[in-house]
Amino acid sequence: MNEVIHTVELSKHYGRVQAVEEISLSVRKGEIYGFLGLNGAGKTTTIRMLLGMIRPSSGASYLLGERIDGGNYGIWNQVGYLVEIPYSYPELTVKENLSIICKLRGIGDKKVVDQVIDQLQLEPYADIKAGHLSLGNAQRLGLAKALLHKPAVLILDEPVNGLDPAGIVEIRELLQNLAHQHGVTIFISSHILGEMAKLATRIGIIHQGRLLQEVDADQLEVLLRKRLLLNARDKTAALNALAGAGYSVRNNEEGFMEIIDDQAIQRPEEIACFMVQHNCPPTLLQVEEEDLESYFLRTIEETGGNVQ
Amino acid sequence: MNRLTAAFSSEARKVLRSKILWISILAFLMIPLVGGFFMFILKDPALARSSGLIGAKAQLAGTADWPSYFQFLSQAVAVGGLVLFGFVSSWIFGREYSDRTIKDLLALPIPRILIVLAKFITVFLWCLVLSLLVLVLGLWVGKIVVLPGWSGLLAVQGCKTFLLCAILTMVLCTPVAFFACWGRGYLTPLGFVVLSLIFAQIVAATGYGQFFPWAVPALLSRVAGSAIALPGNIGYFLVVLTGIAGLIGTSLWWRYADHL
Repeated sequence: MNEVIHTVELSKHYGRVQAVEEISLSVRKGEIYGFLGLNGAGKTTTIRMLLGMIRPSSGASYLLGERIDGGNYGIWNQVGYLVEIPYSYPELTVKENLSIICKLRGIGDKKVVDQVIDQLQLEPYADIKAGHLSLGNAQRLGLAKALLHKPAVLILDEPVNGLDPAGIVEIRELLQNLAHQHGVTIFISSHILGEMAKLATRIGIIHQGRLLQEVDADQLEVLLRKRLLLNARDKTAALNALAGAGYSVRNNEEGFMEIIDDQAIQRPEEIACFMVQHNCPPTLLQVEEEDLESYFLRTIEETGGNVQ
Repeated sequence: MNRLTAAFSSEARKVLRSKILWISILAFLMIPLVGGFFMFILKDPALARSSGLIGAKAQLAGTADWPSYFQFLSQAVAVGGLVLFGFVSSWIFGREYSDRTIKDLLALPIPRILIVLAKFITVFLWCLVLSLLVLVLGLWVGKIVVLPGWSGLLAVQGCKTFLLCAILTMVLCTPVAFFACWGRGYLTPLGFVVLSLIFAQIVAATGYGQFFPWAVPALLSRVAGSAIALPGNIGYFLVVLTGIAGLIGTSLWWRYADHL
């Protein structure tokens, strides 16, 4: 079975408020699916429906071919999850919190607690009460609970919230290793788009409850806009020469000249030669690619969404 | 490990590591100590007269003998239990919402109803331990105060009434759990406890106490005096029905409600 997570026209409304509207998506085995959206876009509602915590108003979702339902509890053996800020029992230590989940998951091997503590680098905090942990370590504990039973599917809502830069890299590498080496399927929501760009193999953009776009990470390269940034000592002469040669050149808000012609972007050296020949040699020549954040905001705006 | 045992052992660990357990024990142990103190004052009429307000309060416990003392303990567990047992139930269920740990319990390879049952078993055992501590300490305090009127038959009857009052009060905790889940925290169930206590007083005063489950334990403890009839089978039946309704309501909530 290739499709691990699958939703069919999944919708949720609260009275007249449409939180999620007919979302159909599928995530294949071993994929890291980045679920992007602004606050209130419907990410967490979708994730809670995927975890059987919220009943959909219509539509259905499936995990490993089984329909998700509050009564279909057997499926959670293969799923690890983290929803929003992970909270734990504050009066219990890190180890005790993990032992409780271990018991509830019916895991007989007590070594898994030590293993996951080691995996998430929580050893110094193992006997510290969860109520005394920093946000970053509380996040690690949340991830440890999700990974404790070595699940085939991970559903993570904002898993790098509160982590420092080194922690973010560490968790990224851990998740990449799980997906690429162990075939774990990961569904991850985040608003840290730079992180998603580095991690996800497929990206879905949700806005105002609707799934606007799904794109493979390797296709993203094609979709991201590129531009050639130029500067020269005599900018007016350079601008006139380039425009005269038929390039669509303009002065941008940052004070540079900008060309978006594909030919110029693919062969910037020709532009350099052209400028030298016209006595306005470039002082800057740089091909710049739109980042995921800009692409995300552009996608929302192009589909009539309000980014505020 | 059996799933219910696993769920219960998790709940037990949470309770044993909490401060609330020890606070509830301290609060409940005040009952026999206060009762014993009242009996001590009542034994000496001159002391009772000179003790002002405390003496007047002590008069409410009746006379300084074992029958009055047993009645005092039963009344305390029937009325005080409604509040304290309600608090225990609110904490066991409501804390998962206040501490935001509920989401960790919803997508596990264990039926949600077993977690609900494990929580109810924990509530029941916690309240039973509190009641037994009160009874044992009560008997010891009564012996220390050297109350008159002790007999084996009276002791059996007194303990039986006390335990029946305690168990009926525990059964009434299940709707409190439902309100903790529905209200997602402590405030709603505690509000419900206070309201049920107020209505129990009002309904009992009108003479229809046996038809209002929250008044039944107090009626059994003779809080309204021996002139008022015991609640009878209809009263006990309504308490059990309320308990079952609370249990089913809480389970259905865990199974079908949207957990936001």
